[in-house]
Amino acid sequence: MAQRYDAVIIGGGHNGLTSAAYLARAGRSVLVLEKRHVLGGAAVTEEVFPGFRFSMFSYVVSLLRPEIIRDLELPKHGLEILPLDGTITPLDDDYLWRVNDHGKTVRELRRWSKNDAEAYEEYGQLMVDMARFIKPILGMVPPDAGKVNPFEWLPVIGLAKQFQQLPTRLQQTFIQLMTMSATEFLRQWFETDPLIATMSASGIIGTFQGVQSPGTAYVLLHHYMGEIDGAFRAWGIPKGGTGGISNAIGSAARELGAEIRTEAPVARIDVRGGRAVGVTLESGEEIQAGVVLSSVDSNLTFLKLVEKGNLDEEFLDEVRRYKYRGSSGKVNLALDRLPELACKPGVGDHLRGAISFSPGVDYMERAYDDAKYGRFSRRPYIDCIFPTLVDPAMAPPGKHIMSCFVQYAPYHLEDGKVWDDEMRTAFGENVIDTLEERFPNIRDVIIHKQFLTPLDMEEMVGLTEGNIFQGELSLEQLFFNRPVPAWARYRTPLKDLWMCGSATHPGGGIMAANGRLAALEVLKSQRAGKRKAVA
Amino acid sequence: MMAQTYDAIIIGAGHNGLVAAGYLAKAGRKVLVLERREEVGGALANVELAPGFTAPAVYHTVGRLRKSVVDDLGLIRHGLRLIDPPVRVFAPQPDGDALTLWADVQRTAAELKPRSSHDAAAYPEFERQVRSLSSFIAYLNVVTPPDIKDLSLADALAGLKLGKAFKDLGRKASREVTRILPMAVADYVAEAFETEAVRGAVASRAVQFTATGPWSAGSASVLLNDSAGNEGGAAGQSTFARGGPAALADALALAARAFGAEVRTGAEVVHVASYDGRATGVALASGEELSARAIVSNADPKRLLTTLVDPVALGPRLVWQAGNIRTPGRVSKVNLALTGLPQFAGSDGGERLRGRIVIAPSIDYLEHAFDASKYGRISEEPYMEATIPSLLDPTLAPEGQHVMSIVVQWTPYRLREGDWDAERDALGDLVVKTMEQHAPGLGDLVTARQVITPLDLERDYGLSQGHPLHAEPGLDSFFAWRPLLGHG
Repeated sequence: MAQRYDAVIIGGGHNGLTSAAYLARAGRSVLVLEKRHVLGGAAVTEEVFPGFRFSMFSYVVSLLRPEIIRDLELPKHGLEILPLDGTITPLDDDYLWRVNDHGKTVRELRRWSKNDAEAYEEYGQLMVDMARFIKPILGMVPPDAGKVNPFEWLPVIGLAKQFQQLPTRLQQTFIQLMTMSATEFLRQWFETDPLIATMSASGIIGTFQGVQSPGTAYVLLHHYMGEIDGAFRAWGIPKGGTGGISNAIGSAARELGAEIRTEAPVARIDVRGGRAVGVTLESGEEIQAGVVLSSVDSNLTFLKLVEKGNLDEEFLDEVRRYKYRGSSGKVNLALDRLPELACKPGVGDHLRGAISFSPGVDYMERAYDDAKYGRFSRRPYIDCIFPTLVDPAMAPPGKHIMSCFVQYAPYHLEDGKVWDDEMRTAFGENVIDTLEERFPNIRDVIIHKQFLTPLDMEEMVGLTEGNIFQGELSLEQLFFNRPVPAWARYRTPLKDLWMCGSATHPGGGIMAANGRLAALEVLKSQRAGKRKAVA
Repeated sequence: MMAQTYDAIIIGAGHNGLVAAGYLAKAGRKVLVLERREEVGGALANVELAPGFTAPAVYHTVGRLRKSVVDDLGLIRHGLRLIDPPVRVFAPQPDGDALTLWADVQRTAAELKPRSSHDAAAYPEFERQVRSLSSFIAYLNVVTPPDIKDLSLADALAGLKLGKAFKDLGRKASREVTRILPMAVADYVAEAFETEAVRGAVASRAVQFTATGPWSAGSASVLLNDSAGNEGGAAGQSTFARGGPAALADALALAARAFGAEVRTGAEVVHVASYDGRATGVALASGEELSARAIVSNADPKRLLTTLVDPVALGPRLVWQAGNIRTPGRVSKVNLALTGLPQFAGSDGGERLRGRIVIAPSIDYLEHAFDASKYGRISEEPYMEATIPSLLDPTLAPEGQHVMSIVVQWTPYRLREGDWDAERDALGDLVVKTMEQHAPGLGDLVTARQVITPLDLERDYGLSQGHPLHAEPGLDSFFAWRPLLGHG
C-alpha cells in the first residue's frame, strides 16, 4: 500500500528543505525527495578529490533570511557563517583593493580618485537606505497583475505609500535601480574604471546581461540586501561550504519531524481530477500526498513532471517562453599551496576576500559580447575565493582550494557546437590561462581541477539550461511574473501543487525566502479551507 | 525701458515648442516663442542638398504626430499635407531578396508566407498585440505625468483613470504589459517570429535613435511607444509631410501665429531669470530682457538646466541630476542627391521603396552594429534607415532625379579615435558602400552628398551630444521620471 504524507516536497535544495521545516513545524507529516546522494541541490559540498571538499556550485552567501535562521535555530544545527573580507581587483601593474574597513577603503580609493573616495561614502549610505526600503519585497507575496484583488495588492499599496513618503533622492534612485544598467548607475558617482567594473560585476552574476545592459542595476541592489548578523553587505562563506547551510536546514527539518530521502528521484507528479495527489518515483514507488511542493524550476515541474494533458496549452506556452539561458560556469581547484598575484606578491590578507577579474568596463562588456554570439568569454569575468583561508578544514593540512565563478559560459553555443568533454576542457583551460595572467604560478600549484559547464549544472542538479537562479533575473521575470505570469503566489493551475524554489519570487541566491513563503502560503490556504469547511 | 510681459515665453521653436504655443495661444494666452536659429522647426528642418534637391535634415517621416494635434491646431488648413504610402518597410536581405511590410496587414502576411508560414500566421496577431499595448501607452503619453511627491486631487483622478485604462486592457493584456515593457525587443520579436529577416525588420524601430541594442532590456517599450497614438502598428508608420519636415514646422508656426502667438527667430536665450524660486523671464544674446509668468522650455532639459538656468537657483542636487541625464547621441544623417532611382533587388521598379528602407537583416546584425559603438567605434556594417521622399513628392528633386535620406546608427558622439570633423567623409563613404551592397550602382548615381554627424546635430540644432530625442528613451527616463522625477 502506498505511503501517504500531508506534504511531499520534490528536491532537497535549501528551499525544499526550508519548506519542509516550516510545514513540519506546523505539525504536518512531510517527506522530502532528493534525486542525488547528497542534500543541498546547488548549495552543496562534496569531496570531489580525496581530502578536498568543494562548494561545487553556489559558493558564497549573504542573502539567507535572518528570520529563517532564527525560526529554525540554524546555528544550533551547525550553521556558522565565516566573513570574507574585501575584494581585490588585480590589474597589470597595480590593483584596487576594497575591504570592510571603511577608512582603509577610502584611503585606497583616494589613490585613484579623490572624487571617488568622497562619493564612496555617499553611495554606500544611499544603497543601505535603498536596501532598507526594498527589503520588505523579499518577504512579500506578489499579487496577480491581471486582477484587482485588494487583499493581494494591500502589501504593494503599503509599499507604494512608503515610496511616496521617501525623499525624492531615494525615489529617483529606486527608479534608476529598477531600470538602469549597473555601469550607468555607478557612473553617476564614480569615475575609476576598475572600480566601476568591479562594482558592476555584482549586477550581472548569473544573468545573461552585460554590465551596460539596462536592468542590471537592480541586481546590484539585490546583492546589497544581504545581511550577516544584522550587518548589511557583508558576504560570507558557510563553515563546511554551502552544503553546510543545506545540512543545517535539513537537520532542523528532521528534528521538527520531516522525513528526508536521498537517491529518490521523482519520475512524475500524479494528478487525479485536476488535483496533485502524490508522486511516483523512478523506482516505480508511489507516494500519496495532501499537497505536493516542487522546488525545481517551472520547466521541469510543468513540462517534465506533471503528466501530460493536465495543464492547458496557454499556460504551457507561458512556461515554455520563460527564459533560463545559463550564463556561468565554475572552476574548482585543489591546490598544493596558495598562488601569488603578480601585482601584489605574497600571501597576505588580500587573498582572504574575493579576487575579482574585472579590470575595466570594456573587459566586462567584451566578455558579454562573446556570450551573445554563443561563445564562452575568451577573457571571462572571474570571481575567485580561497575558502581554506577562512575554513582550513576544507582541504588536507597545508593544502588549499580555490573556487572560481566564471562568466560568461552560455548554455547555447554558436552554430551546432555542444558542451561535450572537449568543449568543457577548452572552457576550463581558458579560465586557467586567464588566471595565469594574474597568478603566474597558478599551474605550478594545481593538484586537481574540476570544470563545470552550464550543461553540467543542468544534468547534475536539474537547473534548466544551467541557470543558477532557476530562471533569468530580468525585470519581466520578477515579482508578479515569476515563475509564470499570473502564478506568482506559489500556487499553480493544478490544485494542491505548489512551487517553492528559486524559480519563484524573490528569486535565486541562497535566501531560502522562497521556501518559507511557499510553506506559509500552503498553511494559510489550508486554514482558509478549514474555515470554509466549518462554515 | 520696461521689459515686455507675456503669459508664457517658450524657448525653442521646435515642433513641441510650436505645439505648446499653439495650444496656449488658442486658450487665449499671450505667448512668445524664441528661436535661436533663423528658421522654426528645430530638428524638423529641410536642407538644400544641391540646387533643386531638398532633403530632410534629421527626421524624414512625421508619423508620430498625433492626429488630435493636427485637428486641434487646424494644421491641414495651414497647409500641411500628409502622405501615407501603402508600403511601410522595405528590408533588403543578404540573400539578394527583400522583405516588405505593408500598411495592409493581410498583404504583409501574404508576403511573409513564402518565407515562413509560421511568421505569416503570427503577423496579424502580433499586429493586434502591438496595437492593443501601444494604445495603453498612448494613454500614458497624453496624460501629464503625476507629481509623485505631491499628489493632487487631479493627479489622483488621473491615477484612477489610468487604473481603469489598465483594467480595460483585459486581464491577459494587462499581464502582458508588465511582462513586455521591460523586455529586450530581441526576445519580444523572437516570441512571435522565427525568421531573422522579420525579427530584424520589426525590431529595428525599437533601437532607432537610442544608445541601446536589441538585446537591451526595455527596448520592447520603445517599439510600443513608437506605435503609440499613430497608425504604426507592428511595422511602424511611414508618413511623410509634403514639402519635407520643414513644411510641418511651417504649418505649426502658421497655426500658432493664427491663434495669436508671436514667433521670433534669430533670438537666442542665454539666461533664464528667476526670483524666489520662480522663473520670471529670459535674457537674449542681444541683451534684451523679457518677462513672463511662465517659461516653457523646448530646449533639451540637460541644456536648459545645466547652461541656461542659474545653478544657484536650482541647487546643487538638481544640477548634478541634470548633468547626469543621459544624452548619448548615436545617430548621424547622410543625404544623397541622385541622378536616378537606386536599383534595389525586388523593389518592383521602386514601388516598394516608397516607405522606409531598413537595413537590419537580423537581430545579430543590429547587435553587432551596436557593439562597436560601446567601444566608441562605428560598425563596418551599420544599421540604416533610408527614405526616398522624392518618390512621393516630386517637388523635392528635379524631374527624374531623387533625394535619398539615410539615418545611420550607431555612430557615437564620442569617438574613441579621431574626431567627427575628420571622420565625416569616411562615414559618408561607409554608408554609400553598405547601401550599394543592396542597390548596385548606387555610388554612380550620387551627385551631391551631405553628412550630418552627432556633433553637427549638437552644434546646429542644440541637441546635447546630438541626441534627437533629447534624452535616452530608456525605462529609467519614462513618464513621471522623464526628464527627472518630480520634474515630469
